[in-house]
Amino acid sequence: MTKRYPILCFIFLLSTPVFNQMVYEFEDTMQEKRFYSLISEIRCPKCTSGSIASSDVPVSRDLKNKVYELVIDGSTDTEIKQYVSERFGSFSNYRPALEGLNYFLWFGPFIFLALILAIFFIKRRV
Amino acid sequence: MNQSLRFLIVILPILVLGFFAKVLLVDDDIKFTNFESKSFPLFELKDLNGDPVNARSLDGIKIVNVWASWCITCLVEHPFLTKLAEENIQIIGLNYKDSDFKANGWLQRHGNPYLFSIYDPRGDLAFDLGVTGAPESYLLVNNQVVGHIQGEMNLAKWETIFLPLINKAKQGSL
Repeated sequence: MTKRYPILCFIFLLSTPVFNQMVYEFEDTMQEKRFYSLISEIRCPKCTSGSIASSDVPVSRDLKNKVYELVIDGSTDTEIKQYVSERFGSFSNYRPALEGLNYFLWFGPFIFLALILAIFFIKRRV
Repeated sequence: MNQSLRFLIVILPILVLGFFAKVLLVDDDIKFTNFESKSFPLFELKDLNGDPVNARSLDGIKIVNVWASWCITCLVEHPFLTKLAEENIQIIGLNYKDSDFKANGWLQRHGNPYLFSIYDPRGDLAFDLGVTGAPESYLLVNNQVVGHIQGEMNLAKWETIFLPLINKAKQGSL
């Protein structure tokens, strides 16, 4: 086994993640936290359902790099999400903004539930 | 009361099942029909001949097709684009993350249906446009992006997505 040890080390050195991983460096932990929360809230444009954090397709890599750049440049979270959705559509935001038709998306289920409860109690009383 | 409740118990699961069957089983090719229209991003790039691209050349009704010499599906849709070009549809290429040498060689080998191709080796313009990969096509009406097709362009997609928009634009109602 000891003879094979250097060979094993060599093989591990050749493993692709060593060359492939982009390492993001931050000035403080706040930036780092924001970066990782942002990339988990932006939808990968190429995947059916997944964030860019979970995806390694080229466009997600570009997006992550861009988000990183913007975080370092001092853009706010809203600005960054705005920047992404201007390019990749509002679909790219995992947490849809509270505006227009999205009100229905956010409050629809509660309205629906209230309706069902109302019908249920009214019918019961009769 | 009991009657209507029983009715609901039967009909609700059927509706829910129907909804999920539609979502999961029916292959929707036209999910980009409600594309959010936006103006074409500003850019300063050269074409594949090395001449700077004039933004005015995007006026009118134009197709912008994202392609690259490394892209296999681009080769699949190439004959269809060539046919469109023969029918006087104006197509502008957006050469995506490619080298100009390889791109020009590709055009020489397979023919050039494009008025010209914007050379975007780093994919900057493509990023601003929201390109997710090659091939992809955008419909431009007077510098406004009004339609989007992801993946291979073919007759079915052309007829269901771009052609109705083009007809609308020609009537001036877009």
